[in-house]
Amino acid sequence: MSTFNIWLGILQGLGTTAQVTAYGLVFAVPFALVFGVAQFLTTGMTRFLVTAIIEFWRSSAVVVLLFVFYYVLPVMGITLSALTVSALVLGLNTGGYASQAVRAGLQSLPAGQREAGMALGLSRLAILLLIELPQALIAMGPTFINNLIQLVKATSLVSLVTLTDMTFRAKEIAQTNYDPVAIYSALLLAFFVVCYPIALAGRWLEARIQS
Amino acid sequence: MGFNLDFALSTIPTIMEALGTTLLATVLSCLGASALGFTLEMIRRGGGAPGLAVRFLIDFIRSTPVLAWLYFLYFVMPFYGIRLGAMTVGILGLSLYYSGYLAEVFKAGIDAIPKGQQEAARALSLNRRDTVVFVIAPQMLRNVAAPLGNYLVSILKATPYLAILAVPEMLGRAFDIASETYRYAEPLTVAGILFLGLALIVAYGVKRVEQRLLAAGRR
Repeated sequence: MSTFNIWLGILQGLGTTAQVTAYGLVFAVPFALVFGVAQFLTTGMTRFLVTAIIEFWRSSAVVVLLFVFYYVLPVMGITLSALTVSALVLGLNTGGYASQAVRAGLQSLPAGQREAGMALGLSRLAILLLIELPQALIAMGPTFINNLIQLVKATSLVSLVTLTDMTFRAKEIAQTNYDPVAIYSALLLAFFVVCYPIALAGRWLEARIQS
Repeated sequence: MGFNLDFALSTIPTIMEALGTTLLATVLSCLGASALGFTLEMIRRGGGAPGLAVRFLIDFIRSTPVLAWLYFLYFVMPFYGIRLGAMTVGILGLSLYYSGYLAEVFKAGIDAIPKGQQEAARALSLNRRDTVVFVIAPQMLRNVAAPLGNYLVSILKATPYLAILAVPEMLGRAFDIASETYRYAEPLTVAGILFLGLALIVAYGVKRVEQRLLAAGRR
């Protein structure tokens, strides 16, 4: 098998990699927004509960978490496809990290922003949606891009729960061709081609925000 | 079938036996990643062709998944006749992967040192090695302690990747039990809880050290 064919073979898994990333974002974005804002706004017992949920998703080892959900949910009588379980676990893990950026972004805003909103007679919700969140989310843009790259890279794990992503394809090809150097270099290169442009976009965004 | 709590509890001692392997892999990978990351940053700072090559290498590492690196090392090294144990390959893989991140940590730690320090070292005609060892490194260490601690926790959470190379760390041991008993849910849940607990404990320890360093810095 030529190097070019190995490349093509691995790229057949790109669709699954993209799919898991996209579905993962469906879980990650709402989780990060809701829990990041909740951790910012709540106090006392509610804040403790919000923090506990965030910490569960953020502090767990994502490899272990994926296997736990993949094997435990069916025992609990919940049958989800490997794709859904992967998107759920990888998405909420990433969402846990991103929620901390949302909270930190909100906390770093000067108190004058909220006070100005109150002086204008805006409700707390309006202040949050119209004044605080837009500023916090833009300031944290580069961090979210890093979170996205982590999510794309973490999708390589789904090869362990039977999904045919790029990593799975590389291992499949390796079973019939003894050419580990070409195959695994191509796999690394395939991820680089996907993730590096995102990283460059993040740097561009960071430079724009600072200027 | 359901979730058997008694069985889950009975797997705790067996999985805990592998705690030592998990911690050893964490500490050695963190040391390896620090040494390699610092070296990479020094070469990058040196500039020229090697500096440019290392800059690209760091970007490349940060754009590729750790799992792909582990497979790469595990399958490519024997191809060139290098036969190492799975644990060694795993530690090398984690060291290499995290060195890309720690190089950035060291970069930020060095950039935060006032420029006058370097200039003073030059005024005292210290050579490059002495400047790094006696002027830059001690000040850098305080700057990097906190992010380094965070990466220690990250590396701990990455050690279960080694189970994929059949290293008998905690997740690997959980899978051993699962394949012997055909029950996956219980041992994996136990492994999940143990890893979460361990990560929270280490993160708490890192935070304590960070606070003490901050207090010492203010003195």
